[in-house]
Amino acid sequence: MDSFYQEDLLEMYKHPQHKGTLVGATVSISKENTMCGDTVTLDLNIKDGIITDAKFGGESCLVSVVATDLFLEEIIGKSIDHAKSLTKEDLLNLLKLNLTTSRVKCATLILGAFNDAIKKYEENV
Amino acid sequence: MFNAKAIKKDFPILSRKIGGEELVYLDNGATTQKPKKVIDSLVSYYENNNANVHRGVHTLSEEATNMYEHARKQVADFINALPSEIIFTSGTTESLNIVAYAWAEKNIKKGDVILATISEHHSNFIPWQMCAKRVGAVLELVNITEDGLLDMADLKSKLNSNVKLIAISHASNVLGTIFPIKEICKLAKQHDIKVSVDGAQGIPHLKVDVKSLGCDFYSFSGHKMLGPTGIGVLFIKKDILETLEPYKYGGGMIEKVSVDESSWTIAPERFEAGTPNVADAIGLGSAIEYLESIGLDVIRNHEIDLIEHALPKLSGISGLKIMGPLNSKDRSGLIAFSIEGLHGHDVAAVLNTKGIAVRSGHHCTMPLHKKMNIAASIRASFYIYNSTEDIDTLVDGIEYAINILRS
Repeated sequence: MDSFYQEDLLEMYKHPQHKGTLVGATVSISKENTMCGDTVTLDLNIKDGIITDAKFGGESCLVSVVATDLFLEEIIGKSIDHAKSLTKEDLLNLLKLNLTTSRVKCATLILGAFNDAIKKYEENV
Repeated sequence: MFNAKAIKKDFPILSRKIGGEELVYLDNGATTQKPKKVIDSLVSYYENNNANVHRGVHTLSEEATNMYEHARKQVADFINALPSEIIFTSGTTESLNIVAYAWAEKNIKKGDVILATISEHHSNFIPWQMCAKRVGAVLELVNITEDGLLDMADLKSKLNSNVKLIAISHASNVLGTIFPIKEICKLAKQHDIKVSVDGAQGIPHLKVDVKSLGCDFYSFSGHKMLGPTGIGVLFIKKDILETLEPYKYGGGMIEKVSVDESSWTIAPERFEAGTPNVADAIGLGSAIEYLESIGLDVIRNHEIDLIEHALPKLSGISGLKIMGPLNSKDRSGLIAFSIEGLHGHDVAAVLNTKGIAVRSGHHCTMPLHKKMNIAASIRASFYIYNSTEDIDTLVDGIEYAINILRS
């Protein structure tokens, strides 16, 4: 469990690269983790099928913040199709943490938010 | 002289290590650990007496039946009820749902009001929300004051002839507040309102006398009072019990069955269709013996000592905000709190690296957490085997967590 709070992850948690909001974002969404009441907000800018920028906000735990930041780092500049192809396992691999069952939900909150955002985007295109 | 460290030796699990650290178990509000006496009672029952209860004429069935009914008598004596007023259930949640289905749905009509509070656990909230929807009644919430107490003026202002039920916890599982059940029941009687008490966080810590409290229903779980999981109790006052129809059907609850119709036996068997949880009822009886050997008053005083030790130490931590009343008199043995800028799960995960078990999250009280604007709080809940040293370890652990998590 000590690896949970190793320096690099703590650093990422304290200073996430992709935290914030995008003014005039193509699509915005808010998603709640019903297990604990945490919320993540997600803003995406999309142009010609490419996710040109992404920012997240909300109130959530270290596991959720770090997983979200890593996920956004992975999808920015890539196609929607690539981002959609990323699975729960891919995300957990990015995180390189041995999570207990209850914390997997913290890590994957962003996947639910991203799927909701893309659904909303595709319905409006 | 009460000695928590000596008591700790009665609980085998409390000697184990977590990641090389001594276990400091402070999640008793979720479930308590079991003394060897309770574990032994389960093993002994399965090794020597196991059989299905009632109707069997062979020795084992006689023994199992006697032991099961003895457990019912132990529970009844423990809360000053009649054995016939004690229904064994799977836990508080089932008990509360039985009140909702078997009593409320038949007695609460369109336009009637059910009163609860915003601090109720989901298990004493959703059954009433759903019951109200089914019968067209209204679920109204009595305010909780800033300092975590029940707003008695608000309660009084909401009492009228439309109110049919007050559903309230004996003690809040987050605020820790002990609610004035006796006073509430007295007020309710003046308006012919029934009172259903969620005793999950009450009975492990407080001497409960249902006659003296004056409540109509009292629900609780075995596993939060040193007993096994899977066994709970629903007390229903005799005069109400006699009017109730069963809410589930099957073996053991009938008087007569023919092809066209059936009739029901008397309470409590009328409400215990199917093979009951014999072993765990016996385990609960054993837990009651253990608690009584210590004394509920002694337990309460010990918890007051722990709360009085913990409140100033926790309050002294920068950015830590305690939820609920700030005195031991109004509190049962738990303290929930939030720490500015830190998430409850992160603090709990760091505490776990020090062997300290606490709960984090909304503790099944989403409406309360929404109202207080807290996503996930941290809860330390105490019991008879906890000592002031455990609280000191917790305080050190919290300071360590803050140190590594804060930027």
